[in-house]
Amino acid sequence: MAEKMELRDIEVWDGNMAASQAMRQVQIDVVAAYPITPSTPIVENYGSFLANGYVDGEFVMVESEHAAMSGCIGASAAGGRVATATSSQGFALMVETLYQASGMRLPVILNVVNRALAAPLNVNGDHSDMYLGRDSGWIQFDAYNPQNAYDLNFIAFRVAEDHEVRLPAMVHQDGFLTSHTAQGVHTLDDDTAYSFVGDFKPMNDMLDLDHPVTHGVQTEEDWHFEHKARQHHDLMTKVFPRIQAAFDAFEKLTGRKYNIVETYNTDDADAVVVCMGTAVETAVEVSNELREEGKKVGVIGIRVIRPWPYDQLLDALKGIKAIGALDRSSPNGTFGMLYNELAGTVVNGDEKKVLTNYVYGLGGRDLLKSQLREIYAELLANAEAGKPTTPLQQLIGVRGPKISFH
Amino acid sequence: MIDNGWDEFEIGAMLRSFDGAVKDIATTLQEDRPYSKNNSFTASVADWRIEKPVFNKDYCIDCQFCWIYCPDISIISRDKKMVGIDYDHCKGCAICVEVCPTNPKSLLMFEEKMDEDEALAGWPEKENKEK
Amino acid sequence: MSEMKKIKNLKEFSTSADRFEGANLLCPGCAHSIIVREILNATNDDLILSASTGCLEVCTAVYPYTSWDASWIHIGFENGSTAVAGAEAMYKALKRKGRLKQPDREPKFVSFAGDGASYDIGFQWISGCFERGHNIMHVVLDNEVYANTGGQRSSSTPIGSSTTTAPAGRVSYGEKQNKKDMLAIMAAHGAPYVAQVAPNKWKDMIKKIQHGFAVEGPVFINAMSACTTEWKFLPEDTIAISDLATDSLVFPLYEIIDGTKLNITYRPKNVIPVKDYLGAQGRFKHLFKPENKHVLDEWQKRVDEKWEYLQRREEAGV
Repeated sequence: MAEKMELRDIEVWDGNMAASQAMRQVQIDVVAAYPITPSTPIVENYGSFLANGYVDGEFVMVESEHAAMSGCIGASAAGGRVATATSSQGFALMVETLYQASGMRLPVILNVVNRALAAPLNVNGDHSDMYLGRDSGWIQFDAYNPQNAYDLNFIAFRVAEDHEVRLPAMVHQDGFLTSHTAQGVHTLDDDTAYSFVGDFKPMNDMLDLDHPVTHGVQTEEDWHFEHKARQHHDLMTKVFPRIQAAFDAFEKLTGRKYNIVETYNTDDADAVVVCMGTAVETAVEVSNELREEGKKVGVIGIRVIRPWPYDQLLDALKGIKAIGALDRSSPNGTFGMLYNELAGTVVNGDEKKVLTNYVYGLGGRDLLKSQLREIYAELLANAEAGKPTTPLQQLIGVRGPKISFH
Repeated sequence: MIDNGWDEFEIGAMLRSFDGAVKDIATTLQEDRPYSKNNSFTASVADWRIEKPVFNKDYCIDCQFCWIYCPDISIISRDKKMVGIDYDHCKGCAICVEVCPTNPKSLLMFEEKMDEDEALAGWPEKENKEK
Repeated sequence: MSEMKKIKNLKEFSTSADRFEGANLLCPGCAHSIIVREILNATNDDLILSASTGCLEVCTAVYPYTSWDASWIHIGFENGSTAVAGAEAMYKALKRKGRLKQPDREPKFVSFAGDGASYDIGFQWISGCFERGHNIMHVVLDNEVYANTGGQRSSSTPIGSSTTTAPAGRVSYGEKQNKKDMLAIMAAHGAPYVAQVAPNKWKDMIKKIQHGFAVEGPVFINAMSACTTEWKFLPEDTIAISDLATDSLVFPLYEIIDGTKLNITYRPKNVIPVKDYLGAQGRFKHLFKPENKHVLDEWQKRVDEKWEYLQRREEAGV
């Protein structure tokens, strides 16, 4: 039996420590992991918990991220609680197995500390790896700070392992900006944290020797579509009610309220930015300042990226005239993901909205408050004009001549 | 099963070998197992064959070479005796005939449509091996 | 530790209840299923199995049918070893935490993979599993070619073989490289047991498999799997071709214990010429043209040298 750890009500943790503490508290049965910057401390912290008797599950230090997820899949199919962590190139190496985990409906939890993808090589935070995972059939949660990274891990285990869901889930946090920035984190004691997630309930577990099960079958043209349709259907219909229920229960337990789409100053807003990660907190600060100047601007933070919160966004965007989609990943030849998904979300609505795209912060470049002020000024001009007054896509904070398209 | 829609099967890319619980499957003979409809035991590959092996127990010495070298679990042996051929699972490879050591062989290949009694009636005599 | 199954002779062995089923989609005469049957029937213990992508996998779990009467998992081409290692890790965790549903039963963990999935694309995963010391058995169904995809060369393909990606032609005798010595590589991992087996020598096979199941730690088994389709011989000749392979010493049967101690486990009474083995298969038929005689000579020389080396290793006890 693992030792319990006495925690203060508020601990000073960075995002990595917050995630690793949550992983410890839910008593994972198997962690198969491989270190990579900036998620390495999650794996190191977990190793230290193990070395000091706070973890009694298996900790398998494999030889690559691909093997990490492969081991997680085998362990999960065997029947128990499983999680790991990665970033960037490691995430990219894992991609093949991400589709296999979700297609096999195995509730693996993956902490992704977001980092840019090479080339050129870069260890800092942007959302390229997060975007790479968006068609992989996983649930994707996004944390904006260490507290979120801690809390959303509990939500992720509870939702993913639900037999109605049985889908793997990622908890994203921004590399360095969240993962290595220590803040005050309100903690749960070990028993409370574990009870919130509950005991792991096996399903089709290979280790149930009285019920042999074949996992990872082949399906060709006669069966593949039905399996994919089933998975897509379950992502589209079964996940949000469970996430909402978990958010409600978590609020009751801790007083901390999470929403599938987070809104700040949006009620009577003319213009909003839609963004993810640490950019949300910066944008909220700027929006608060602009509100004091009488400018009707707000922020929408995406909390759940997959499944895409279509209904929640339509609701949040009611009455808003101009939207700036802020993408922290190089679109490489098109609009940013958020722009495209938001366009698809609002295009059939009754209200006319002006949607523009800002690409920012690649490779860990800071997003400045002054830049957000400029963005808001442009968005308010769009709202006023009822049409774009700027190019549809602009890259901001990059040296050299102004770069924009369309 | 083949007509089932996307909402009519268990989630996950998975199948069950048996209906309900099984104990000691390693010592339970096929006839006593609760195979599920998804177990390939319930399927047939008989139509793969052009020729079929026929078993003549008169010459069999129960050496079990055919049993061990059959790739398709189609030699039925019970209580250390060769009992017959499982024609649902035999693909007609003829390994059993090749490895049969008796003279004449206790297993021979015949055209798939050949009647078994006819095959047995025309069984070759013992061969006089030269040398 | 569970009791070892007693298999005195073939009659006794034939009372085994197979846990691998027919109406799978393997070719008529495929050696894969003969090997799988011999391995599975070597124990009465529960089994947790994996298969890497390949002939065995695509022929035994095509929805809506499974040919497996034990729990089985397939993830991808390269990671079958790690899949079953993950399951083994979960077994250890649940055992420690008292959550096994059948705590008195001790399953064996076996990973099946082709030579492509073991010698090539899955090499790193296997190496990782062995370095970490998982209690698993990795079995290579070694047919020396990517048979599932139609006969492309792998690093197990022997010299002179004609494959679709290294075909024999007007100016080429086919494969130029020598077969990779995986047994030596796996022995170098310090694995407690590695062995080469062949399905025609069933008794040798059972003995080695049972030894492998009895030791703690990772076990590597390289099983020669004669491939009627890609080696180009008639389906009924699978066992005859296997006999030629073991009796010509092209596939010597031996084991290495604890990474060093080598034992030869089969010595043919009459060693036959390598060309008798090569000549029985379509994949080598071009070697019998006069201009390729040097490859035949090279073959015999290599086989002789390897046999000499194995005997000296055995003698030296290292």
